[in-house]
Amino acid sequence: MSSSSTTVSSGKGRGSRLTRVSVPILGLFWLVVTTLPFIFVVMTSLKSRQETFTSPVWELPKKLNFENYIAVLHGGFWVYLRNSVFVLVLSIVLILLISSMAAYAFARLRFRLNKPLFGLVVAGMIVPIHITLIPIYLLTKNIGLYDTPFALIGPYVATALPISIFILTEFMRQIPKELEEAAKLDGCGAFGVFWKVFLPLSGPGLSTVAIYNGIGLWNEFIFAYLLTSSPANRTLPLAIWDFQGQYTANIPAILSVVTLTSLPLIIAYAFGQERIVKGMMAGALKG
Amino acid sequence: MTSISLRNIQKTFGKDTQVIKDVNLDIADGEFCVFLGPSGCGKSTLLRMVAGIEDVTAGELRIGGIRMNEVPAAKRQVAMVFQSYALYPHMSVYENMAFGLRQAKVDKAEIDRRVREAAQILQLDPLLERMPRALSGGQRQRVAIGRAIVRSPNVFLFDEPLSNLDAALRVHMRAEISRLHKKFNHASAIYVTHDQTEAMAMADKIVLLRAGADMSKYGSVAQIGTPMDLYHRPSNRFVAEFLGSPRMNFLSATIEGCNENGLKLQLMSGETLDVPFLDRGIEAGTKLTLGIRPEHMYPVSANAPDCRLTRPVRQVERFGEYSYVYLNGDSSDTLIAKVSGDCYVNSSEAMSLGFDPQNCHVFDEEGLALPRIGSGSSNK
Repeated sequence: MSSSSTTVSSGKGRGSRLTRVSVPILGLFWLVVTTLPFIFVVMTSLKSRQETFTSPVWELPKKLNFENYIAVLHGGFWVYLRNSVFVLVLSIVLILLISSMAAYAFARLRFRLNKPLFGLVVAGMIVPIHITLIPIYLLTKNIGLYDTPFALIGPYVATALPISIFILTEFMRQIPKELEEAAKLDGCGAFGVFWKVFLPLSGPGLSTVAIYNGIGLWNEFIFAYLLTSSPANRTLPLAIWDFQGQYTANIPAILSVVTLTSLPLIIAYAFGQERIVKGMMAGALKG
Repeated sequence: MTSISLRNIQKTFGKDTQVIKDVNLDIADGEFCVFLGPSGCGKSTLLRMVAGIEDVTAGELRIGGIRMNEVPAAKRQVAMVFQSYALYPHMSVYENMAFGLRQAKVDKAEIDRRVREAAQILQLDPLLERMPRALSGGQRQRVAIGRAIVRSPNVFLFDEPLSNLDAALRVHMRAEISRLHKKFNHASAIYVTHDQTEAMAMADKIVLLRAGADMSKYGSVAQIGTPMDLYHRPSNRFVAEFLGSPRMNFLSATIEGCNENGLKLQLMSGETLDVPFLDRGIEAGTKLTLGIRPEHMYPVSANAPDCRLTRPVRQVERFGEYSYVYLNGDSSDTLIAKVSGDCYVNSSEAMSLGFDPQNCHVFDEEGLALPRIGSGSSNK
């Protein structure tokens, strides 16, 4: 009896020691995997074109060379940034509004086609965007939105809706039914219940949707490349095109663009880290 | 006019899951009515139908004499206190209480006056700016009641509002709700509970509901009456068994005969007993059930003239003021007697018990109570 309990306890001890050692090692490994590419990008963006080709890849820049950044900032960077912010903000607002309304209907309203329609929306997640490129291009051309920032908003919202509706529907299903009934007794109609009770209570779910889609749309390349052509209407991911010739590429300048493009996300994460993680966790746990 | 009338109310979920059958009920102006029953008997569903958050499958519901079947919840002038309180987590106590009035577009100054008045009655004044998450269970419950009060409804609906509170707070809030209802006596109240103590303590009228096969056979309502009516004159075995703690003892018996003083019964164990009940034409030899509440039994000596039963004691539970004595029943059942705490008896000893035949209940094979002789005048 005593020997078996000793065995169990020593086994448990070994297990926890293994965990104590392996978790930090795995964490460190993951830190290296995720930060090394970024370190390489920042380091190379501070090198001159010549130095990029002559020095070893991981060698530090001989001197901090900000010429690439100056060139990028004096180019069309601010126009791209303005377009990116405009498209992102408008798309996210529309995604949140439409997906939350649809999610409320799927989560709470009783109507005949509720389940089939929800199934159809969820099935939209498996449609590869590449097969929609040509129809969307032709449609955008036909309605006269080609080469405007507005051209991107429709595809961005449409492709984000299935996952957003899915996340928010699962989130809203967790909101107690009594709150809806209390609101109805207090005089709210279906829209009142949604707007005054469900929407404010879906904060963590909405954050999750906004963050998830925000990161994807900020870096979105294919639709931006397909539906805009002039520099005045392009978004940040296309800024690298300015430094790409037919036979050559200004690699340090391109990496400066990459650094500057990712800066807003890094700053947003640094300041809102707790809220972002909480938002993602809330979605995960309550869903 | 805040009377409530339910006529032939039915509720079916899906195609054939009936949860409420043939409910006929009148609740008078200012009356405090309690829906009592076991889990699954449909008491909350019935309340929700009155509230308007559940449709009435068939029958007619009237509040203040006006048909309400098709009237939306918001326009029925009812306020409901939920089991889970259902406070809006993103609003302060003040906003929670003011929400309904804001929806009704009541003047801002009037909203403020009503909220502060209700807060004062419920001693919520210092908590008005707090969020619900910063309140204790009892405080949340008071906010939920306050939210109902500020709307000055015609009908208050309570759906097991005390079941999430600890025992001491439950007793306190029970008295508080009764006090508030008397203060707002223009409004009728329906209170749902599965706790018979709450029902007995608070109700002007109890509606005892049943579930399962009995509901399908006889309808949802087992009995309607004052708490003491249901306790002293249960109309069937279900009511007799449901009310009272510990539950009523049941002994199998057969009719030996009858005379002007009532029935002569023979218990399965051989004892005979005269009880003041009418035979309703039941023949001698018919099997009946004799019911006697534990608190109506008392210890006697074995040769005393009022000795009715002598049984071996199985177990004794002492609570100081009183004790529960568990005795072997006639079959597999256990008899329970509630005796004074001073009565010392030990397990495995035999104990003789007496009881007044006036306190007995007799049920036929269907479980329906036989009429008591002079039941029209006796009121215990």
